[in-house]
Formats: sequence, C-alpha cells, structure tokens
Amino acid sequence: METQNGKGSKEMRESIEICKVNKFYGKKQALSDVTLTIHQGMFGLLGRNGAGKTTLMKTLAALHKKQSGTIAVCGIPIEQAKEIRTITGYLPQDFNMYPSMSVEESLDYLGVLSGMEKSARRKRTELLLKRVNLTEQRKKKVRALSGGMRRRLGIAQALLHDPKVLIVDEPTAGLDPEERIRFRNLLCEVAEERIVILSTHIVGDIEATCEEIAIMNDGRILWQGTVSELLLAAKGKVFTINVNKKFLAQIKKDYIVTGMLVQNEYTTVRLISEETPSMLGVQVAEPNVEDAYMYCLYCHGCELNGGAEE
Amino acid sequence: MNGKGFYNFFALYFKECKKVLLSLTFLLYTAAIFAMYYTQFESEMRGAEIEPKPGLSSYGTVVREVPEVLMPRALDTLVQEYQTNSYVAYPIGFYKEVHLTGKKREKMAEIIGELTGVSREELDNFLEGDKEDDKDNKFEFTVGEEDGLRKDGDNNFVVDGNGNFRAGELDFAEYPLSEEITYERFRELMRKADDLIGGGSRYSDKYILHNFSQVPKTYEEAMAEYQQFIEEDKITGAYARLYCDYIGMMLSILPVFVAVSLMQLDRKARMEALVYSRRISSAKIISARYAALVSGMFLPVIVTTVAAQKMVMELYPGAKMDLFALARYAIIWMLPAIMAVAAVGMLLTELAGGLLAIFIQGAWWFADVFSGSLTGGIRKFNLVIRHNSLYKLDIFQKEYSDFLFNRIFFVVLALLLVALTTMIYEEKRRGRNIGIRALVKNYKNQSAI
Repeated sequence: METQNGKGSKEMRESIEICKVNKFYGKKQALSDVTLTIHQGMFGLLGRNGAGKTTLMKTLAALHKKQSGTIAVCGIPIEQAKEIRTITGYLPQDFNMYPSMSVEESLDYLGVLSGMEKSARRKRTELLLKRVNLTEQRKKKVRALSGGMRRRLGIAQALLHDPKVLIVDEPTAGLDPEERIRFRNLLCEVAEERIVILSTHIVGDIEATCEEIAIMNDGRILWQGTVSELLLAAKGKVFTINVNKKFLAQIKKDYIVTGMLVQNEYTTVRLISEETPSMLGVQVAEPNVEDAYMYCLYCHGCELNGGAEE
Repeated sequence: MNGKGFYNFFALYFKECKKVLLSLTFLLYTAAIFAMYYTQFESEMRGAEIEPKPGLSSYGTVVREVPEVLMPRALDTLVQEYQTNSYVAYPIGFYKEVHLTGKKREKMAEIIGELTGVSREELDNFLEGDKEDDKDNKFEFTVGEEDGLRKDGDNNFVVDGNGNFRAGELDFAEYPLSEEITYERFRELMRKADDLIGGGSRYSDKYILHNFSQVPKTYEEAMAEYQQFIEEDKITGAYARLYCDYIGMMLSILPVFVAVSLMQLDRKARMEALVYSRRISSAKIISARYAALVSGMFLPVIVTTVAAQKMVMELYPGAKMDLFALARYAIIWMLPAIMAVAAVGMLLTELAGGLLAIFIQGAWWFADVFSGSLTGGIRKFNLVIRHNSLYKLDIFQKEYSDFLFNRIFFVVLALLLVALTTMIYEEKRRGRNIGIRALVKNYKNQSAI
C-alpha cells in the first residue's frame, strides 16, 4: 500500500496535470476546457497557427493567467509562480537576447535572474555551451549568431538552472533542415531526464521526437495519445491513386489531399477518406503522421482545405 | 532578504549598471551634463568675487520693495503700454505681445483712471495729439556720410560703416499717481491689469518687484553680501547653489530618457519572456534596475562636482572653504531630482510606453522651468529648484525649510513610484493586461469577434 502511494505521489511529482483550463483574451476564448496529463519525456503539442498552443505554453510557464481550471506542475499549483519558475525552463517562440552581450554574458545575466551563484553559473554555462555546441562562440556577440545558433543558445538558457520541465514553443521555425535535425536531437537528449513539452505546427518535428502527443485546435484538445495510436486511428483511411491531371480539381474538391507527386502522364495523389474512393486503381496506403494528423482534424469536424482552390 | 538574496541583488545590480553605463542614451546624457557644466557654469566663472571697495559709483542694484520707487515706475510703463496698446508678457516663460481690444481696453483705462484720475478720452486723445504735434520730427533721423550711409544706384540705402542711428523717441505723457491710492490698492490694481493682459505681465506678482523696484545697492549692502559669501557660505556653498541651479535643470528632464531606454530594452531585444520566466522576484529586478539608473546617472554629477570644487579652489587659492558643500548640495539637491525623474520614467514606460513617459516628463519640466523665478520662490512641490546667483543666501535660507520639504517629498514620491512600478511589472509578468498597449490589444481582440 505504502509503495503504491509512494509511486503515485512520485508520478504526480514528475508530471503536469492540466484540468479543465479556460482562458479568454477579452471575449475571445483562447483555451477551452483543456485537460491533459504530461509525463516525463518528450511531449508534442501539435496544432495549426492560432490553435492556442502558445497560450497553453505561456500558461504552463506561469506567464499567463488562466480564468478557470487547475494546473499542477510536478505537484506545484500554477498559482505559485515563483516555485513554478524555479522548476521550469522556457524557450519562447519569438525570442532574442541583448544583442550587444556576448553568448557567455547573456547566460550569466539570465543565471543571475534565476538566482544562481557565480560558481554554479560558470559551471552550468560551460557545460551547456559544450552541449549545444557553442563553446567556440562563447565570446561572440549575440547579434553575430546565426538563427540556428541563437536557437541553441535559447535551449542553453532554458536549461541553465537545470529545470525539471522544459517548455519549448515552435523551436524549429525558420531553421534549415540540418539545423532542425540537430535541434531535435538535442531536445531528445535533454528529455531523457525531464519533461519536455514541444509545441509545433511542423508534423515532422513531432514524428521525429515525440512518443506522446496532443492535437489542439481552436483552444481545445482534440486528441491525446501516442504517435502509434494516432497512426492506428488513420489506418485504412489513407489512399493513393494515379490520376490524369484533368481530374485533380475534382479530387481536391471531394477529398482531403495530403500529397501529390506530379509525373509526366499522371499525378499520384495521396488522399484521406472514411471509405474507399470509388475510383479505379485506388490503393490503401500506410498512413504517416501528417496523414494521421489531417485525419484527426477531419474526424473532429475541423474545416479543412485539402488543396482545393477557393 | 538573506545573504544569498543580497548577493543575488548586487550581482544583478552590477549587471544592470553595465547595461546603463554602456547605453547610447547614457552617453548622450553624460555629454549633455558636461556641456551644461562647461558652457553655462564654468564659462561664467571667469574670476574670483572681489571685495567691494568704498567710494565706487555703483555696486549694482538690488530688488527691494520700495513703494515710492515701484508705483510711479510701474504706472509710467502701464500708461505707455496702454497708449501703444502693446503689453509685454511671459505667460509660460516665453515672450508674448498682447493687444487689448473692446471691454478689456476699457477696463484697463478704468484702472489707469483710478490710479491717475485721468479719463479714457484724455488718455486716448493725448496720444493722438502727441503724434500729430510731433509728426515732423518723430521716428525720423538724418544720417551723414560719416555714419557710413549712402545711396546706391537704385536709390536704396546702404550702410558701409558702423552707423549708429537713433530715432526720435515718442514722448509719452507722465501722469502723477493719485494721492488717494494706497500701496495695497495699487498692487491690487496691478493684479487686475495683469489678469486683463492674460498673466505673466510686468505687473504680475512674479515680475513686478524685479521690473520696477530695483534700487542701487549701497556699499554696506554690497559688503554685507560679500561677507556672507565668504563667511557663511564659505565660498563653495555659493558656487554649489549656482552649480545645482544649472545642472539641476538638466537633471529634471534628462534622466527620463535613460530610464525609458533601460526599461524598453527587454521588449526591444525581444527578451521579455526570458526575463519574466526566471525565478527572481519583480521587486529585485525593478529595485536593481532603479538603483543602477540612479547611481549611474549620479556619476557625471560626481565628476562635475569634483571639477567645480577644483575650479573654485583655483579661483580662491588659500581661502577658507567648506570642502564638502558641493558634495552636500549635490546629494541633497541633485539626487532627489534624478530619483524622481528616473522613477517617473520607469513607471510610465511600464504603464504607457516610452514616448508617453518622455512627453509627460517633458511637459512637467517645461511647466516647472517657465513658471518659476531664476532665484528664490522655492515651492514645496516644484521639481525644478532655481538659484541663479552666487549671492542672495538670505533668500535661500528663508526658503530652506520648503527646500528640504521639497527634496524629501520627491525622494518619498520616487520610492512610492518604484513600488508601484514593481506591482505593475509583477502583474505584467503574470500575464495581466496592464497599460495602454494592453488596452489597445484588448480592444482589438474584442472587436475581432
């Protein structure tokens, strides 16, 4: 009994519990009855632009107030902002640092704001710069860093005080493919010992890094589960077909098209349908995360435009 | 705050100091203080004050309330201004020429009538008659070749030399003051005249003594003043007040720019969220920034104070001086000004943005500078305190309690504003929409629905 209780409280301490959270901007509802449980490891929050991901992330970082509901981060109610800030690291979507400060100075400044002592700041800065591969740039001014380097510096600053929870909002936007892969790998590494919440609208980021995900739309959580569960739900709903170009417009109108490969005489179309389309040569395809995400939105009645022209 | 808390505060304070001292705004602020010091204060101090010698023809003038001197002079000027219908005024510190018409002119004639017993018709007709009588020789002048004036081929006049021409002067009538008028009634009528002109005229309480009651200083008075300068002020005290007069003017406006620049830095660098999400308390952030601003901006004051001290010591070698007067005045007079303006800058930037902070502080400064006198007239709630003289210690002493009240008031106000800034900062950090920008954002959100 004791062991069970102990386990239960440990789980609570290493998870984020979000229950029926609502948030308004004026009359506009940004979060609507959001309920989620997030465990240790990488957790992906997927949704369109404007789905409410950033609002949820900021609320978890104690930067936004919710109107109702409860949030507990590792057992600490979100209202205890100082304690929450002690255990969370936050990398915002649109961020920078004082351009005239060097990489090292920036981290030291933020370390002071985290209440760290000088020796701890020095030690962590050295360790993290090595980890994010910025040791050589330590004396470089922030304004001289590339976009990718700046993102890595962003991760370093978020990890500076060794937080239990890392909240990362749209971290790969604007990065080139190589930097994106590097960044995703870095996130996976740091997620081994903490909760990492990654918010993105780029499905590829989720596919490559997260086991557990949630899909958001219009401030609501549409779906929560593992990536394999999401793929499973879309099984048998994704099809491919080779069609003449002249039928493309009609197909786009009738189905949700998730991919097209234009070839000389025909186009290979990848589409989503509840039932097998009544067309010659239709083949059932193995869904990928992008298909599954689109299928999820479709199932929940979200307005989708599968490439059809208005 | 425990030991770790203090360490953390000072670590942040030094980092904020670095941000302040390395900013362009601070460099401009320092340049302006130095420029003010050298162009206004130091350049004016060309030599030491000399002990007055008996038997000189003049020892300067002194403003003293002598009704027998003041009343006829003020009346003459008022009649002249009435007859030319051109009144000089400084309503907000700037020159303005006022012309009265209709009922206001009638009322002015009534005032002069009560002062002199002369009717409006007589006043007006005299001017007309005067002009008519003298029209042949008034406003005309004859210039000979020795003045360097010649006619060119196009019949234009050309001045080659330093021609010094003087037009004939209009002879205004001089009306004696009615014997029934008491000094109190006279001042009352002057106030009414000032009201008709729209305030800030020569007849206002603020300017009337200075304009019409300057009397020659006697040797004894000049000597007493000098003695006070040497013995009571111990030289440096007098220079300290003059120094504070000039530099204080700058410190009542410039710190707002440095404060706005520091407070906007996070938003401009898109670093707000990174700072907001740290565990440090808002009180620590705001107080460290405020302390950095105030101490940073006090540095040029210290430097110029040392320069002023050196200059005074060179002017009076071997003289007995109060070596701490400049430092004392700098702390009591200048520091509260920096504290108040920096606090206003911080609060308004958090609340309404930098532009509005600068605009409001600018308006306050403008109103304060142009509503006060050059020397004396210290009020309890005026940010800008002036004493544009090496002398007049007695005026300053008379107002010393108001001066102290004023400076303590601004220190307390500054600390209250900093506390308010901390509260607003904390609310913003927790995502509460505060300030004009937030109101606009809210409005947009609501209208988007």
